[in-house]
Amino acid sequence: MARVVILGAGISGHTAALHLQRHLKKGAEIIVVSPNSNWNWIPSNIWVGVGKMTKDQVTFPLAPIYKRKHIGFRQAKAVAIHPEGSPDNPQGFVDIDYTDPTRSGQEEQLTYDYLIVATGPKLNFAATPGLGPDGNSWSVCTAGHAEQSAAALETIIEALKAGERKTLVIGVGHGTCTCEGAAFEYTFNVEHELRERGVRELADVVYLSNEYDLGDLGVGGMTFAQNGFETSSKMWTESLFRERGVRAILRAHVEKVDPGVIHYEELDGSKHTLDFDFAMLLPPFRGVDMKAYANNGDDITDDLFAPNGFLRVDADYAVKPFEEWTPEDWPKTYQCPRYANVFGVGIAFAPPHAISEPRKSPNGTIISPAPPRTGMPSGVMGRTVALSIAERIRHGDQAPLRTASMAAMGAACIASAGTGLRKGSAAAITMYPIIPDRKRFPGSGRDLTQTSGEIGLSGHWTKLLLHYLFIYKAKARFGWFMIPE
Amino acid sequence: MSDVDRSIAEAPLPTAGTLRRRKGLFYQATRFVAFNFRMMKMVTRAHH
Repeated sequence: MARVVILGAGISGHTAALHLQRHLKKGAEIIVVSPNSNWNWIPSNIWVGVGKMTKDQVTFPLAPIYKRKHIGFRQAKAVAIHPEGSPDNPQGFVDIDYTDPTRSGQEEQLTYDYLIVATGPKLNFAATPGLGPDGNSWSVCTAGHAEQSAAALETIIEALKAGERKTLVIGVGHGTCTCEGAAFEYTFNVEHELRERGVRELADVVYLSNEYDLGDLGVGGMTFAQNGFETSSKMWTESLFRERGVRAILRAHVEKVDPGVIHYEELDGSKHTLDFDFAMLLPPFRGVDMKAYANNGDDITDDLFAPNGFLRVDADYAVKPFEEWTPEDWPKTYQCPRYANVFGVGIAFAPPHAISEPRKSPNGTIISPAPPRTGMPSGVMGRTVALSIAERIRHGDQAPLRTASMAAMGAACIASAGTGLRKGSAAAITMYPIIPDRKRFPGSGRDLTQTSGEIGLSGHWTKLLLHYLFIYKAKARFGWFMIPE
Repeated sequence: MSDVDRSIAEAPLPTAGTLRRRKGLFYQATRFVAFNFRMMKMVTRAHH
């Protein structure tokens, strides 16, 4: 019986596991390896970070779901891939170290016929001295981090209630960060919370980002057709910042976070400091620390993984200037070029380049967003690769692979700007395609009939609906597969 | 004032009517249906 090993149980890996099980039933053994015991609906961590949801509302244990679906589960961390197997056995295998407290210190070699690398990112707080919950700033990347942020925010609100002035800085903690959308959401959820608690006047809320313009969001910004005009996401976002009285510092690379002081460099090379009382700064991402070895023991990590630690797949990784970037650079099947039975999905695959225009300061510091590939695209990639593998297991290695290029895929993004069934709001955005195609869509590179943005209460309802729908789906409850990625 | 501050200061402010519509239950119910329809169209396309 064929064995499929999936490294990672986030949106992409978990989606792949459920679809593989559904399509292959007992025709294959599916094993998920994840260092975490819980699944986390990460988009709702924003609400945990302002105390409007608890950790338990955005997470659930994976083991009972996998037991019910007859999917193997190892709570463990993958440390090395051996795609050529060993001198005695050509079958590929993965070295895993258990993080399950009941098997602490144990290791295992897991052989596979197909391997899906869906390990997500390593939260690289170490890239910026003083960044992160172990340093001098907070994070909402995990539900646990978000809970810590909520507690710290509560302390600030108490001080504001006592009449003290406070500066709250929210954004990204390095020039190469991604997920500016999450920073945007947390900024406006905090701002909303401060207003709801009657302490907004005493708080200076600052958004600190590596984006060149507001509304870039790591996708190079968007153009919308509204009321007979083409408007930009820049103008649209700036309008929200003006309306809500939020300051912005853009084109910034955070160099260091000292207690109460952020040191940052701007794109013009100038250096600045910013005093703060509360800072939530997202870390840059890199691939998880995993090695790869040939069957003779040679280290082939650099062949399998890009320098940023993400898995190389069927993308065009040739270095070329921004003007020469094309949609065809982006991967379609997510298959590893060197090993046909290895795939990389979600954040774990190495993108060929950014989506936003790359920029460097005169000091050589890169200050531009990395490409986002979370949420909906991650789920679609996971499903697509699962179906490709299922077809190969059923019909043989010549079965064609399915495709899901981000250059042929749209995305919906609901960026919360405050909670509450009557008082909440969110920016509801759709874009098609994610990767701009300026040949097909001259000008903005995207289809104006399918790229849209609007702000309002209904956006909040949609985000809340998606919270419940995706947790239902991830729990593999009745009809889960009817809910699309 | 930095370029960013200036750009934000010059951004259009929503009118009182726009702010009302953003919170109005009936209008937002229609936007909810419209946005989810648009999103489903996009999702369906992404799955084929």
